[in-house]
Amino acid sequence: MATATVSTPLKSHTGLFSSRTAGGRMPLTPSPRQRAIPINLNSSPFTPEKSSNERGASKSVYGGNLGARLARASSKSHHRDSPKSNIAAGVSTPRKALELGVSDFTLTGTGVQTKTSPKARKSANIKQKSSKTTITYNADRFIPNRGASSAIANVGSGKLDLQEKQRSRAGHSEASSIVASAADDALAALEGLNIEEEDESYSRPSPNTVAYQDSLANACGVNLNTRILQFKPAPPESSKPIDLRQQYNRPLKPANAPPQFRRRIATAPERVLDAPGLIDDYYLNLLDWSSGNQVAIGLERNVYVWSADEGAVSCLLETTPDTYVSSVKWSGDGAYVGVGLGTGEVQIWDVAEGVKIRSMHGHETRVGVMGWNKHLLSTGSRSGLVFNHDVRIAEHKVAELVSHTSEVCGLEWRSDGAQLATGGNDNLVSIWDARSLAVPKFTKTNHKAAVKALAWCPWNMNLLATGGGSYDRHIHFWNTTSGARVNSIDTGSQVTSLRWSPHYREIVSSSGFPDNSLSIWSYPTLVRNVEIPAHESRVLHSCLSPDGQMLATAAADESLKFWKVFEKKAGAGAGVGSSGSSAKAELSKQMTIR
Amino acid sequence: MSAPPKKPSSSGAGDKDKSKVHKLSLKGSAKLVAEFFQYSIHTILFQRGVYPAEDFSAVKKYGLNMLVSSDDQVRSYIKKIMSQLDKWMLGGKISKLVIVITDKDTGEHVERWQFDVQIFKKSTSSKSSSTKPTPAGDENGERAAPTEKEKEKTEAEIQQEIAAIFRQITASVTFLPQLSGNCTFNVLVYADADSEVPVEWGDSDAKEIKDAEKVQLRGFSTANHKVETLVSYRLAD
Repeated sequence: MATATVSTPLKSHTGLFSSRTAGGRMPLTPSPRQRAIPINLNSSPFTPEKSSNERGASKSVYGGNLGARLARASSKSHHRDSPKSNIAAGVSTPRKALELGVSDFTLTGTGVQTKTSPKARKSANIKQKSSKTTITYNADRFIPNRGASSAIANVGSGKLDLQEKQRSRAGHSEASSIVASAADDALAALEGLNIEEEDESYSRPSPNTVAYQDSLANACGVNLNTRILQFKPAPPESSKPIDLRQQYNRPLKPANAPPQFRRRIATAPERVLDAPGLIDDYYLNLLDWSSGNQVAIGLERNVYVWSADEGAVSCLLETTPDTYVSSVKWSGDGAYVGVGLGTGEVQIWDVAEGVKIRSMHGHETRVGVMGWNKHLLSTGSRSGLVFNHDVRIAEHKVAELVSHTSEVCGLEWRSDGAQLATGGNDNLVSIWDARSLAVPKFTKTNHKAAVKALAWCPWNMNLLATGGGSYDRHIHFWNTTSGARVNSIDTGSQVTSLRWSPHYREIVSSSGFPDNSLSIWSYPTLVRNVEIPAHESRVLHSCLSPDGQMLATAAADESLKFWKVFEKKAGAGAGVGSSGSSAKAELSKQMTIR
Repeated sequence: MSAPPKKPSSSGAGDKDKSKVHKLSLKGSAKLVAEFFQYSIHTILFQRGVYPAEDFSAVKKYGLNMLVSSDDQVRSYIKKIMSQLDKWMLGGKISKLVIVITDKDTGEHVERWQFDVQIFKKSTSSKSSSTKPTPAGDENGERAAPTEKEKEKTEAEIQQEIAAIFRQITASVTFLPQLSGNCTFNVLVYADADSEVPVEWGDSDAKEIKDAEKVQLRGFSTANHKVETLVSYRLAD
């Protein structure tokens, strides 16, 4: 045994250097060493015969991990196991180290030393051995970190190139390590030798071959000691093909909707004013808020102007006892207010002076709705007729818009004055082109009840919202260029007015029976962000403050309430409606009401 | 069968486990790793669109919202896999778990998620000699010292490591190629040759991807296991 031990390291030494070329030669060289076989075999219990089993076992310890083996081969500490632990423990490890080396070394061994007997060599190598032992010593110092960690360190890194690494390491880097290992574990090395000899003679699978297979297997990612098992049952079919793009790019509803939900909307009125004598008539339009921040309201025969800046109230006019105020409307500059009367007369008042400027006749029936477009005042009457008055000239009536067959109760100019929308008790919505007023551009018959609520979208000139009466309860959205209906909401109650927010993509609707509430809708998601129970009886009129933040509502319960429904956050930046409601936006000084 | 050289260290672990009760035992560690696999499978199935997103529901786990399939068939399929995996994990029989995503149309393997499991101390639970630590040599003390660091990892830290892996898996959709959307998956296990294999499991090839690009992701470790994650995928042509 002892001699055998000595001999091996040397061999491995020489073998290492020449190994590359020698590979092919081995089978051809007759080995003189055969004699030694029986002895050696007996001496070492770890011979390759067993090895197939044994190897399997030992590998399994490392999970067939190449990295582990590699680490062992390359790290100096590997011999450590062998000397320190009991024999059983020691053997397997060095063997690994050897296995790596063996293939090379055996090859060379056979090739080179055809004639030398192993024993002779062994004796010759004794000296070398001693030197090696010292090396081993040094290596020993590094042992502590070795244990699992060295193996682990390499796990990830070594994948396919193991074979190469093995070779290169064995070849270049550490002749010494291998030598040392061999020295330490002479037994194992010897086995290796013996086996190989034996193999040659008996044409058994030589350890070389085995080692080669091993490393080849490893290189190919196949491990002889582990089985790759597959869970055989087929996975359940996916219910449908999945387009991941859709999955990643789809608008995340929760991300979109909740933020808008989260916008805090004050549900309590900012201020409540009495509006005694407010006529409970759906077809009238008795409330308006000027660009000068004044609110005009028609209460029976009087028109009151309430200054939102100062909180002061003044009575602008009182009609003759035979009639009543049926509509009020501020001119665009906020200097004049148009007043429609039950007799069909239309008056224009200078509010600052408190004097009537002119009266315009023409309508035979009450004027329930009016709208300014610069110097043009459009008035709609119970007869269904809509007149355009040029207030600057004596012959004020410049156009007669014939479409409605019943009372006109809704009328809105688009902010650029290019289109006019009217709604009537005949359930029609008429959209007029300002350049050709002979016939309406579109007449929409979708509503099933009177259309009083009309609102042009401030950020999309082509978008008109219209709301129907108690039998209809719908808000329809129209593209007024194409005439197409683009959206609808069933509000569940009579729609008495609609106002777009200039700052948010939202629209507020006021309801009559049965809710008497204000609803704020996101557009175009049509999600109802909030519903405010606003009044005790139906909300008749609404209007927005010039800065677009405050909504005033007048209801049949004879109260006028102010709601901060579109409150701008500090630093919220420019409103979305900057283009559409430019006139109003310019005036967006912070409004206060006292 | 257990390799002699490993034994000493395992004994060291045993001692340590006894002294610090709240540390994860080998059993607990195996369980934790198995659980990690389970969530990995679900996560990959979701992230890679093997099943439609609406089939998944969020579950709080590892301090994250993990998406777990709520489809009964998929659940029971994974459950079956996990029941066996648990056993193998406890026996320390597994060195790799692989999830292979295969294109149904071409039959080509397009993506391969590999979880390498390293067992620090050979699990001996399956053997009779097993649980009792073998008399420790002097060097065991030495050797135990460095490993102790690993062991000081608290459970919370391990959870964090795991959470980091899942974040990475989630983030990996940014560099992984677009899948066709008509894919299926297979679960492979690299088990020791001597493992007991139930009938549902059969030998397979590694289902490697040709010319694959490989990306090593994070790993985590417990006192007894170390798990590394590697995703390989077919490069876009």
